[in-house]
Amino acid sequence: MKTPILRNVIQWLLGIATLLACECIGSLITDVLALPIPGSVVGMLLLLVGLMIYGGVPRGLAKVSSQLLFLLPLLFLPAATGVFFLRNLTLSDWFALLAAITVGTLISITLCALLLRRLLRKTGAAHDR
Amino acid sequence: MIVDLLHSPLFALPLSIIAFWLGVLLYRRSGTVLLHPIVTASLLVFAILYALEIPYRDYQSSSALLYALLGPAVVALAIPLKQNLAIIRRAGWPLLVTIVVGALLAPAIAVVIAFLLGAGESVLLALSGKSITTPIALALAEKIHAALSLTAGIVVFTGVVGALAGPPLLRGLGIRDDRILGVVLGINAHAVGTARALEISALCGACAALAMGLCGALSALILPLIIGA
Repeated sequence: MKTPILRNVIQWLLGIATLLACECIGSLITDVLALPIPGSVVGMLLLLVGLMIYGGVPRGLAKVSSQLLFLLPLLFLPAATGVFFLRNLTLSDWFALLAAITVGTLISITLCALLLRRLLRKTGAAHDR
Repeated sequence: MIVDLLHSPLFALPLSIIAFWLGVLLYRRSGTVLLHPIVTASLLVFAILYALEIPYRDYQSSSALLYALLGPAVVALAIPLKQNLAIIRRAGWPLLVTIVVGALLAPAIAVVIAFLLGAGESVLLALSGKSITTPIALALAEKIHAALSLTAGIVVFTGVVGALAGPPLLRGLGIRDDRILGVVLGINAHAVGTARALEISALCGACAALAMGLCGALSALILPLIIGA
């Protein structure tokens, strides 16, 4: 009874430690090389390469990650709430913003979908030959 | 005494957690993207801060713990990426090309529209991260000195618009391939779109998660170079 719980806790802690270690190494790399890229993104790419070499996802890491990603909206809640307190934007700024997001997203969705359909058809034709 | 408490993490943290929890409950009951937890939770927090006259700056500084967890959350995005990488082996280069083009196109179109409508530089900067998943967008916003709150708001709104409009728009174009829908939602509507894609089918969700991760990583690598230049 006691051992499985203990093992779960250890797996979970190892998962957390992996994430934190990747973030630290990533930040270190961007600092040392003075890269304009966020350190956490470098950490994510490091972990991705590591997992591809390892050939799977350790159970603890998978568990911690899915929990963290479920909580994601909570993590950026403070930042998102700030949008209601923005006072330095003019009315025309707001209008431009809303129009750009709505119209821009619709155009970009359409173009991406048409591009991917065309490319998939091309490879589909290549397979038929 | 009570006033001190209201301005401390002891109040801010439970407030965020309860608002998020209520948001999740409401989202599950309603099942519409319009009521995504972040939408309802941020409105709720805003209402309470406003009612209790707590300055946003105080709430923000007492939420340092949540900000600190954003870094590990970005790293954690590598796991769904790894789990869905097999899709690339099957659908191959069309997927990669679309993701690369989409990562550049989505922010470019929005920035151009906003520029033509005469938006200020701070708005344009924040818009450049519109289609990236929020944790990466926030990390990126720090690097390119865009306003964090504006970026977060733009990203959330983009996600809701994309997730709402994407499926009917593609149906109108006569596209019924779940792979295309998933990739498009992942590129243009990040996490909100991925949640919607998962409701449509597992394949759709996997494609969306893959597109979201690759698009986010790619944008984080390219955007600072473009904006810095």
